[in-house]
Amino acid sequence: MSADKIVVSGFRHFFQSDSGPVQATGQIDLTIREGEVVTLVGPSGCGKTTLLKAIAGFIAPTEGEIRCDGRLVRAPGRDRGVVFQELAILPWRTVRRNIAHGLEIARVAKAERDKTVERLIGLMGLVGFEDRYPHELSGGMRQRVAVARTWAADPDVILMDEPFAAVDAMTRLTLQEELGRLCATTRKTVFFITHSVEEAVFLGDRVLVMTRRPGTIKATLDVPRHGKGGRDWDSFTGDPEMRAISEQVMHLVHAERV
Amino acid sequence: MGRFRDLRVLLPFGLTIAIWWGLKAGLDISDKLLVSPPRVWDAFVVLATRGILAEYVSTSLSMIGIATLISFGFGVPLGFAVGTNRYAARALEGFLRYLQGISGIAWLPLAILWSGFTHTTTLAIVIYTLIVPIVFNTMTGVRAIPENYILALRSLGASRLRIVTDVYFPGALPSIVVGTRLGMGYGWRALIASEMLVRQGGLGDLIFGARTFGQIDRIMVGMIVIGTLYIVVDRLLVQPVETMTLARWGVLRK
Repeated sequence: MSADKIVVSGFRHFFQSDSGPVQATGQIDLTIREGEVVTLVGPSGCGKTTLLKAIAGFIAPTEGEIRCDGRLVRAPGRDRGVVFQELAILPWRTVRRNIAHGLEIARVAKAERDKTVERLIGLMGLVGFEDRYPHELSGGMRQRVAVARTWAADPDVILMDEPFAAVDAMTRLTLQEELGRLCATTRKTVFFITHSVEEAVFLGDRVLVMTRRPGTIKATLDVPRHGKGGRDWDSFTGDPEMRAISEQVMHLVHAERV
Repeated sequence: MGRFRDLRVLLPFGLTIAIWWGLKAGLDISDKLLVSPPRVWDAFVVLATRGILAEYVSTSLSMIGIATLISFGFGVPLGFAVGTNRYAARALEGFLRYLQGISGIAWLPLAILWSGFTHTTTLAIVIYTLIVPIVFNTMTGVRAIPENYILALRSLGASRLRIVTDVYFPGALPSIVVGTRLGMGYGWRALIASEMLVRQGGLGDLIFGARTFGQIDRIMVGMIVIGTLYIVVDRLLVQPVETMTLARWGVLRK
């Protein structure tokens, strides 16, 4: 049994609006163990991004607390990398310099920095695009850069906020497989939010389902990973166990339709 | 530069001179109201060869140069400070717009009362005119930067200074350059107006002084030089910088 990495306890969040406070989430208690890939699926507006932002340290919870490695989360930090849906890599930096950015900030020596960047460029299929600027890349390529940048900085925990939602459907399938492999090889703790049931089951070791706003976690489903099985779409769709889990999640999500 | 090679650009200038000359000769207008182009040319040669023109030109150019440097030095950091603070931005946006309504020239009476007929007065007026668009454009440039750029960098462990150098500055640079160019255009006009009242040198002083003696030729030389210098500084100095930054950073922003 691995150690608890992220512990969310008694979390509730309210936003201030002109007509008073608006409840963004219901009470959420959640533990993510080290090396685990937890996916969270829920209807839009249920507060899943709010939860992710609070874990990242971008917003302070109205109620409850969030701990990472037992330490209270108060601000963003290098231990928790974030991949956003879009608009997060810097347009004035080349692919290489975007990926190296976290290492530059951490003052990692150039030789080591180059080695890490080269490795991720290879892993993420960006070979030949090292010196391009983001506007010269497709949306899918840009998200590869964003993922590579976060992995290069080597955080303990990686938080992903619908990173493939703005990418075309074909590219998305490839990116999901690549991410699945990346998660499996690097054994990072990953918290991934999405509104796609298939994506949640495909990537997660554990799938959480949220209710509609103010969202709470209504169900947790374990996704057994037998060796390499289910890490590519062919074996995933051919696996009856995976299909059963997907259907179960689908039912839970459908019950939340407005 | 390509545009300058296009002779069509010169056509309206030639046409204006032709009409001017034609009116002067055809209607037999008195020299007290209008002089012919050759007379203006002669006056130009006299002013230029005696070093008089150079003296007035250098005063005006150094004033706009100093004012630009000071406005840039204070305006850009101020724009950053305001732009990165949502509350300050909201509080100041209306005020800055209001200030844009009170032209620099409208401050002249007060400035003259405070600093007299001095270069300080003119400099203050020009800086006031220049700094508002610089602050305003820096602020809007900073505010147009997507929040995710900043959040992503913070989660990579970036310090506040690091975010300024790596996100705010490159992100806002195209707006800063546009603001500076705009400011220099406004500032140049304010400078001439202020020099006309302050009368301590500069091209505004040259043309206003010439009026006292009815030297229409000198007035016209001064006006032509004012326009020419504006074009030379804007097109040959400032615009290339803008084109360069927009090409490099502006396109990259998309």
